[in-house]
Amino acid sequence: VRCQHYPPLRALQASAALRRASDEHKKEPLTSSSQQHFDSPPAGHQPEQEPQGPRPSYTGQGGQESEDYESEEQLQHRILTAALEFVPEHGWTAEAIAEGAKTLGLSVAAAGMFHSDGSELILHFVSECNTKLTKLLEKEQKLVQLGEAEKKPVDEFLRHAVEARLRMLIPYIEKWPQALSVLLLPRNIPSSLNLLTSMIDDIWHYAGDQSTDFNWYTRRAVLTGIYNTTELVMMQDSSPDFEDTWRFLENRVADAMTMSNTASQVQSTGEAVVQGLMGAAVTVSNAETSRAVR
Amino acid sequence: VRLWRCRCRALLSLPDGRLRARRGLAAESEMHFGFQTVTEEERREKIYQVFESVAKKYDVMNDSMTLGVHRVWKDILVHKMNPSPGTLLLDVAGGTGDIAFRFINYVHSVQERQLQRKLKHQQNLSWQEIFESYQKDKFNSLGDSQVVVCDINREMLKVGKQKAQHLGYSDGLSWVLGNAEELPFDNNKFDVYTIAFGIRNVTRIDLALQEAYRVLKPGGRFLCLEFSHVSNPLLSRLYDLYSFQVIPVLGEVIAGDWKSYQYLVESIRQFPPQEELKAMIEDAGFFKVDYENLNFGIVAIHSGFKL
Repeated sequence: VRCQHYPPLRALQASAALRRASDEHKKEPLTSSSQQHFDSPPAGHQPEQEPQGPRPSYTGQGGQESEDYESEEQLQHRILTAALEFVPEHGWTAEAIAEGAKTLGLSVAAAGMFHSDGSELILHFVSECNTKLTKLLEKEQKLVQLGEAEKKPVDEFLRHAVEARLRMLIPYIEKWPQALSVLLLPRNIPSSLNLLTSMIDDIWHYAGDQSTDFNWYTRRAVLTGIYNTTELVMMQDSSPDFEDTWRFLENRVADAMTMSNTASQVQSTGEAVVQGLMGAAVTVSNAETSRAVR
Repeated sequence: VRLWRCRCRALLSLPDGRLRARRGLAAESEMHFGFQTVTEEERREKIYQVFESVAKKYDVMNDSMTLGVHRVWKDILVHKMNPSPGTLLLDVAGGTGDIAFRFINYVHSVQERQLQRKLKHQQNLSWQEIFESYQKDKFNSLGDSQVVVCDINREMLKVGKQKAQHLGYSDGLSWVLGNAEELPFDNNKFDVYTIAFGIRNVTRIDLALQEAYRVLKPGGRFLCLEFSHVSNPLLSRLYDLYSFQVIPVLGEVIAGDWKSYQYLVESIRQFPPQEELKAMIEDAGFFKVDYENLNFGIVAIHSGFKL
């Protein structure tokens, strides 16, 4: 039986001290401080020297939140982001996480916070890639709205989005099969499925899909199929710059488009045939009636 | 026999406030030694005597009392730690060195696996290069990992050193005499701090936890393996029966020491349960504190990080 407890609003002291020390070397602005303090400090001034001192602060609510307050989750994010650098060498393992923690100045034992099979690292990476993709698509949409770029037809848009997302895997491509197998562990399936569906959803949203009928499900199912198969092809593709993969992607998207065209064509052909039959039936019955009259 | 059971039940039904005051916090100098009441100084002395007398038979008694399961518990602890090469471990109250030896074995095997993986990738090495890489890694076969075993009791350390010599452990192992409430180490030194079946015998648990926090590096991990509270009522009764009837008898027969094992069993009942220990660890400043029950709560592993 495991138990988790989230103590409210306790500032992490040891890691905060480490960050203060490393920031004084790197002069890197803290994201939290830039949002909380509206009086802009003079250039070059180190904001973390007097956390709660005489400086006028607009945070207001009780002294607990110092400006380098960081939650456990934020620290874990930082460790995982630092660990990504070591993945090509160590794989998606606790060793990579330990190396990442070391670069932040923490002990290697901090990797014990995460599961030993590297699941959290992989999920973190996937989530970061999805966020990057969303930002990219948003930026492009803005350009289209401002009239600075052409709106792409649907199939080209889908191709572009899937390619952009899959290209993010290229630095880690050698260890990605291992990651895929970890993502398929029963324990991880809810989270990985969630991430996958929200990414596909985002792509369709930016492609301009506003369907409210059954098409919504069909479109997402089709794109999920395209994405997964292209990813698998990419795993064993050895052509320069993955040309084969992109050609495969182009073919699949074209297939999907044709399929939807064919479906509507079949429907209209069916309707035409039925009308033809109806007309023939009416003609025959008219001919019979006129013969009977004669 | 029935007298003990009555005493045990009577003490356990005392209002929580009084029992908590006896758990080694703040100004109270009245402490518990098993089910007796003693002062802090007396408690330290008595515990020292207990372990002095059981030192030689400590391992044998562990095996017979727990039917060998304590080895599994300690294995689980080291697996949970999952140490990588280069880790510095401080094993407090580590007496006869069980955790330290397991740590060394684990790091050894991790190191070997890494070496094999490295060699598999380097397909075009000449025989000379392969030979050299084996030589290099033999020197630090532990990969700079080290374990310091610290114990307050000289006899336990002596037994531990003998065991190490007998089993052939020498690299990366050191033995230090020290008190968990006042460790003879600098701040921010160790990656992992473990205390296996020792924190129960510390007189001021809060001081020990503060010391643990002090000597750990930022990001370092605190691990505590200890007997704890069984919540399942049926199992709890069987456990009580076994503890109070069988264990002291085993103590007398195998080690010739009834009273020490009586103390042992009573001290387990006096120790704070899982949630309370978790709160104490958090009070010392640790984050992400959680615990894992082994064998339905007979034993629990508490873990916390210095963040």
